Amino acid sequence: MNTRKKNLGALLFCLPGLLILAVFVYFPLIENIIYSFQSFSLSSSSKTFVGLNNYKELFSDPVIWQSFKNNVLYAVVSVVMQVFFGLILAAILEDKVFRRSESFFQTVFFIPTLLSLTVVCLLFEFVYNPQMGLLNSFLEAIGLDSLTRIWLGNRDTAMLSIIAVSQWQSFGYVTMLFIVAIQKIPSDLYEAAIVDGAGKIRRFFTITCPMVKQMFFVTMVLTVSGAFTVFNEPYILTGGGPGTATMVLSLHMYQTGFVMNRMGYASTIAMLIFVITAVLSSVQFFSFGTGKEERE
Amino acid sequence: MKKLLVAFMVMLALAPVFAGGSSESSGNADAETQIFFFHRWPNDPKNSMFNDLLAQYMEENPDVNIEMDCILNDQYKERIRMIVSTNDVPDVFSSWSGTFAEEMIASGNVLALNDIYEADPEWSGRLASASVAGFTFDGTIYGIPWSQDGKVFFYNKTIFEELGLEVPTTWTEFIAVLDALKAAGYEIPLAEGLVDQWAVLHYLGTINQRMIDEETLAKDYDPATGEFTDPLYVTALEKWQQLTTYMGDIASAIDHETARNTMFATGESPIMYLQFAEIPMLEQVIPEDFEYGFFNFPAFEEGKGDPNALTGAPEGFMISNKAENIDACVDFLKWLVSPERGYILSTVGGDMSCVDGALDGEGIYESQKEALAMIQNASYLAAWFDNACDPSVYVVYGQGGQAIATGDATPESVMAQVQAAAASLH
Repeated sequence: MNTRKKNLGALLFCLPGLLILAVFVYFPLIENIIYSFQSFSLSSSSKTFVGLNNYKELFSDPVIWQSFKNNVLYAVVSVVMQVFFGLILAAILEDKVFRRSESFFQTVFFIPTLLSLTVVCLLFEFVYNPQMGLLNSFLEAIGLDSLTRIWLGNRDTAMLSIIAVSQWQSFGYVTMLFIVAIQKIPSDLYEAAIVDGAGKIRRFFTITCPMVKQMFFVTMVLTVSGAFTVFNEPYILTGGGPGTATMVLSLHMYQTGFVMNRMGYASTIAMLIFVITAVLSSVQFFSFGTGKEERE
Repeated sequence: MKKLLVAFMVMLALAPVFAGGSSESSGNADAETQIFFFHRWPNDPKNSMFNDLLAQYMEENPDVNIEMDCILNDQYKERIRMIVSTNDVPDVFSSWSGTFAEEMIASGNVLALNDIYEADPEWSGRLASASVAGFTFDGTIYGIPWSQDGKVFFYNKTIFEELGLEVPTTWTEFIAVLDALKAAGYEIPLAEGLVDQWAVLHYLGTINQRMIDEETLAKDYDPATGEFTDPLYVTALEKWQQLTTYMGDIASAIDHETARNTMFATGESPIMYLQFAEIPMLEQVIPEDFEYGFFNFPAFEEGKGDPNALTGAPEGFMISNKAENIDACVDFLKWLVSPERGYILSTVGGDMSCVDGALDGEGIYESQKEALAMIQNASYLAAWFDNACDPSVYVVYGQGGQAIATGDATPESVMAQVQAAAASLH
């Protein structure tokens, strides 16, 4: 009886959370699934059921394919730059050599994360500006005139320039997460390895890497799902242009919904984004595990 | 435990009470008559102009309180689209003419104003009829226009005189002028910022209007019948492609305002396609001896559209038929859309009022008077591209126009996409 009462109490405490989740996550999700089979505009009072038409359009829409490619590029660069290099940087900062200046570097790398994304994007607009931008001026100053580009106005460089902004901003955050994970590794493991004669690189691969597996999983999920839901950077910096060169799925969804005023089809694009992020998260979830076994 | 739970539940129940924000209100907050006014000009000078005007109106009418809210263009479009069909529709709100106005009207919440126009001919007779036409659908007037605008090529008179160039009237002459400017050392003879898709659309809208015959254009711009199969559409985009070669690579990475302020106003680029509404902004940045004139978009030799039309459209206000105090809304708008306030709009706000007599006083730029004459002399006002056709079509056009400028798409490939977008609307 007592246990049952306790359980009931626990359930009651969960209730607000569940309620909020239901109202703000599950209900909109279900609504969105329904919307994706309909056709309607923001100001229309009725919705027309169109069956699978929106989904058919999804697979023949050239902008979807372009956006998807950009998102994949975003994800690949983010994983390499943030997760792999973030881990390496964290290991370096946690090394004895850097112990003294560690907090200084941590702060330096972490500061961009604290800035508002909008501010960062506006800042980079000045960096990339073709008339008086810092980047081109810098390249000219060091005699690399041939490398100056119209960074955001050129199809070949626009997407990579936008991706670079995200890396600059998020790199420190992921590094910080890895630093926390590395700090949790018991020091006797390293001491034993040193006694066994393992060098720094060997210790990194045989102790640090396996011990931060959980954090690796967390950061992978964060960066990959972040890459597939990225919106602000291309929206502020290029608006998806020139043409559709920097279009990403969420921006295409936004434009379809709020500019073209086709909410039904926009919901279908939202479903695509949901399926992609859900599948990727599950794949990572099952391949890396949740880390439970390590605790037991 | 139970107490804690109860306390928590009470807090949860009360949360909305504490969270409910108070809306901004000024002036006669306790007045009997309340009007909610929503517009799209949160930037100065217009925002402070509106604040001053409202303060003046409320002082003159102590029984009326006007609550004002405003957000910028694109966000405004989203917001008003979302609320126009609901009970939260603002009492008075700003609207573009053309398809945007039609969309608002389709909500069924916009008041028909024919009676109001007829009841006060002295007031309504002062409104430019071409501007009222932008808000008239099947004989019913749904809006009160308050500004009018047109888009023409502004040119640097000094440079033209130095090089002995004449104002072009045909496309061939125009290209010859651009070539001559290039030969004279003006690397980018035509300034533009193509990051702004609307800037691309303003060009494409005019080019289409000049190139395609009116009937075909009307049929294609109608979402129900649009096909865009006339081969002249491809020719139109080829003209655009040709024009972009005079804008320099830089055009794809800067916005319209930057191009105006750093290229046209400095004399680096002698020609730019600008709106009359930009005259005050231009006047603020040009050197004192800077002289400019304007010419309408040149006629295409093979074009079938009316070359004397002027791209531009009126903007105005609509009243919700759900407004509690319709009479007060009408009174307020009549007060706002008058020669006195039109004068303030033209001098402080920078737009050209469409009220007769508003542009007579001092402080009006000579160029604004010239612009007014140009609007009046135009055979008709062709709506902005993004007010003339469905967003699904013009977004593809805008993206395609940008891609053509950067050399990433051909006129044929863009037209194929436009045709597909138009077909998906049937």
